[in-house]
Amino acid sequence: MAACGSNSGRASSGAGSLQQWYHQYGEKGTQQAALKFAKAYKDAAVTVQWVPGDYGSKLASGLLSSSAPDVFEDQLNIELIKTGQLAPLDDIFASVKDDFTDADVKLNTYEGKIYGIKMIDDPQFLYYRKSMFQKAGVQPPTTFDELIAGAKKLTNSKTKGVYFGSQNFVVDHIAPYLAAAGTSVVSADHKSNLLTPEVIAAFTKLRELYTSGSVLQSAPTEWTDPSAFIQELVAIQWCGLWALPQIKQAFGDDFGVMAIPSIGAQGKQVVYNGGWSTFVNAKGKNVDAAKKFVKWLWIDQTQYQEEWSLDYGFHIPPRKSVATKATKLQTGQAADAVKLAGQFGIVDDIAFTPKMATAVSDAGNKILRSGADPKAALGTADGIVQSELKRLFG
Amino acid sequence: MSETQTSTVAPAARSAARKAPVRRKNRQVRGRTGAFWLFVGPFLVGLAIFIYVPIVWSLVLSFFRAQNTVVPDVFVGIKNYVDMLTDSAFLSSLGTFTLFAIFIVPTTYLLALGLAVLINRARFARTFFRSVIFIPAACSYVVGSLVWKLSIFNGVRFGLANTLIATFGADPIPWLSATGGFPWYWPVIVTARLWLQVGFYMILLLAGLQQIPSNLYEAAYVDGAKPGWQTFVNVTLPGLRTATVAVLILNLINAYQAFDEFYNLLGNVPYARPPLVYLYYTALGASQDYGHGSAGALILAVLIAVVTIFQARVLGFGRASD
Amino acid sequence: MAFSLLAPKPVGAVGGQSGSVRGVLGTVLRYTVLVIAAVLFLLPYYLILRNGLSSEHDITSPNWTFFPSSLHWENLGELFSDPSVPMGHALLNSGLIAVVQTAGQLLLGSMAGYGLARIPYKHANKVFYSVLVTLMIPSAVTFVPSFVLVSSLGWVSDLRGLIIPGLFSGFVAFLFRQFFLNFPVELEDAARVDGLSYWGTFWRIVFPNSLQFYAAIAVITFIAAWNSFLWPLVIGQDPSSWTVQVALSSFITAQTINLHEVFLGAAVSILPLVLVFLFLQRYLVEGVAQTGIKG
Repeated sequence: MAACGSNSGRASSGAGSLQQWYHQYGEKGTQQAALKFAKAYKDAAVTVQWVPGDYGSKLASGLLSSSAPDVFEDQLNIELIKTGQLAPLDDIFASVKDDFTDADVKLNTYEGKIYGIKMIDDPQFLYYRKSMFQKAGVQPPTTFDELIAGAKKLTNSKTKGVYFGSQNFVVDHIAPYLAAAGTSVVSADHKSNLLTPEVIAAFTKLRELYTSGSVLQSAPTEWTDPSAFIQELVAIQWCGLWALPQIKQAFGDDFGVMAIPSIGAQGKQVVYNGGWSTFVNAKGKNVDAAKKFVKWLWIDQTQYQEEWSLDYGFHIPPRKSVATKATKLQTGQAADAVKLAGQFGIVDDIAFTPKMATAVSDAGNKILRSGADPKAALGTADGIVQSELKRLFG
Repeated sequence: MSETQTSTVAPAARSAARKAPVRRKNRQVRGRTGAFWLFVGPFLVGLAIFIYVPIVWSLVLSFFRAQNTVVPDVFVGIKNYVDMLTDSAFLSSLGTFTLFAIFIVPTTYLLALGLAVLINRARFARTFFRSVIFIPAACSYVVGSLVWKLSIFNGVRFGLANTLIATFGADPIPWLSATGGFPWYWPVIVTARLWLQVGFYMILLLAGLQQIPSNLYEAAYVDGAKPGWQTFVNVTLPGLRTATVAVLILNLINAYQAFDEFYNLLGNVPYARPPLVYLYYTALGASQDYGHGSAGALILAVLIAVVTIFQARVLGFGRASD
Repeated sequence: MAFSLLAPKPVGAVGGQSGSVRGVLGTVLRYTVLVIAAVLFLLPYYLILRNGLSSEHDITSPNWTFFPSSLHWENLGELFSDPSVPMGHALLNSGLIAVVQTAGQLLLGSMAGYGLARIPYKHANKVFYSVLVTLMIPSAVTFVPSFVLVSSLGWVSDLRGLIIPGLFSGFVAFLFRQFFLNFPVELEDAARVDGLSYWGTFWRIVFPNSLQFYAAIAVITFIAAWNSFLWPLVIGQDPSSWTVQVALSSFITAQTINLHEVFLGAAVSILPLVLVFLFLQRYLVEGVAQTGIKG
């Protein structure tokens, strides 16, 4: 089996062979499905690489290597476009453009060209245990203050109030935290917002939550894995729609979903619509063959797109025509989550580069975990964000 | 090989080397040059390609902007160096790791020495204890981190450490997340490293202990030194000088090169990030910045070389091997 | 020399008072400390086995038990049949890398060491210093430049990139040079008189008489190669080129963690080294002593 690595990675790149990379999905069966799709494609031999661990780093250096993927999933980032890593996909995408949501089209567009095709929409929100809420007499919170107060009541010797992640508590959630406070790292006109009162207030509030004694600060599994919630270590966990079937299996109807509460007066409730898009490596040896494969899998094969979104974990299909047929998402908590995603959803900003993410996450970690002064910590990050913005936009 | 052989052979080798050129003249010299390169050539070529070329290349890259590419892009002069030397994250990683080294080096040494002395004096089951203490040295830092992170110090109630402290009625500790109070991640990292490396240094010191001639102890005993602390200070410690220097230097270099357990236990966090982890994320992480990464690597290389030479001077490494 | 470790000799002066009360007390205290240390040092190994053979439910149970309620040997089959865990292939990669690297380092390093120690050549000193300098530059610091080079050779995610840069160890060459300086020159002289070249002398006389030293260095090199992490992490960008260490590390940071599989994977990864330990400890101890004292 290719993904087990019988292929040494030295795959000959003749006209008929393509390398396709996925990050490791946590849900059982996804890898087999990816292999099945690749095998069903007749015009080229597609080798699937299934990459657990730090996908971002591995992909970034993998793209520089001779066994670079021809087709890969990722989240769009302006760096990739500026370095000419991505092939524009307008020619294969034009015919179905109207079938994708505006947000998903906009997300993958830069200066009028489309670079990626959204494969799945993955809303992130909070799961909570209804029975624990009832017992503690807590209502689903809509603001961070309510969240902090509620978490305190939900905390006892066996269970903590909330789990937002261990090491990745800050780095993975920067955009939604700031959106919940009504702001963002980079403004629409490409200026740094880091030293505005809203950002400082957001981090101050997060510090208050983090040190309230009702946060599970460390667990063997990250927030992407519903284990902490399923093991009843917490009453509320930040996770994604993908984990819903697993949670449903564990708790039946004894759980609910809610948006991330708002922070401060300008704040609003937020659902972070993450997900994955597929891209074609412009520096690959088979750009045309790769585009053809992408068109086949992510545009033509709607039954595979449906299977990918719904048969393993749950994801919202980005195609409107597929989404309307997704009956699994039209009942119970799944329907609630989809509704929240539509109502409160926000998406990535492609101007937020990895270097900025490291800088802001360093600042956030210093404020949250070490109790650093928000203004000082954010000041350092602000310098880095500004120099990145200057480099990218002049 | 034994002690006596070693000492008798050395002068013979030297005189042979001196005599040889006299006997056979020019043709022999050419033959010898050929033979020398036959033996040393393959190795030296590899060393040149895989050590010297990368260093030179990286020196070049460090003066260029090189993002998402490993070839020089735009010449920027010493900007990368200035950036790195004013980058508070890089500086704090250097600072943190100097502290880490200052702490871990003596701790490892004392623990390894204590165990070596105990094992050296054990009258039975000595091989057993030696093996047990030594066996973690064969374990990788990845496996060590895995056990520490997922089992002993996992921060939830089913972790071993938290189960233990719960029997005393204490709340679970989120070991690997610092919250402004006590930096609980340090005990995790330090115990992991001690477990992984103490055995190796214990063997070194044990070998050193056994090279101390027993008549030195007898002489000290005759001179009225009491067995125990006095003989330890007057006979054992001086006798261990060579081994001690080796342990301290190896240990210091290892401490500065810490990567494996930090990467696996903590990932990319600002509060305990060694220089190598920072450089890894700078160059090979998602930002793919080879210009700054190369500059940082060279700064670190110079720093390690300086610290090593300084330590060797202080400890008299050169003298010890005479 | 370190080898005397293998035949421990009693320490005379201290042994003299074994009969006294103080001596007995001291012995009891020493062994108490040693037993506690032994238990602590073995504990992590026990945890690896316990968790590897437990069900997921037992591992995460709120009530910690020393012994799992039942042993799940079928976990082993699960580990090797899980398609998202390329464990078998990673073991193969690690084995291949460790064996080839050990052989290569020994061959190239010992030849270079012999040349530097024994063959008079007017620039030999300069060559030796160029080797010594590489000892001053910690290998871990050169990973960025080395990646740059290897990636331009097209060896990323490729066994060549994992193995070849690691074949040239200045440290091994240095150790062999020191060793050959002390090799009995009479043996070589006899061979040279018989008309053997340097090449013949090395392979027929020097090498067969140095096997013990080769074994000591080999064991150390093998362990280092098997356990190395940073370089395989940097080079192994796609799973087909992962070593055991990189595979394990990926599972620690994966989106979802299957705890018993991770621990069983760890157990499998240390098995070859435990075997080396049990059967070759003699050489290992010697190798450590050599590395430290001569280095």
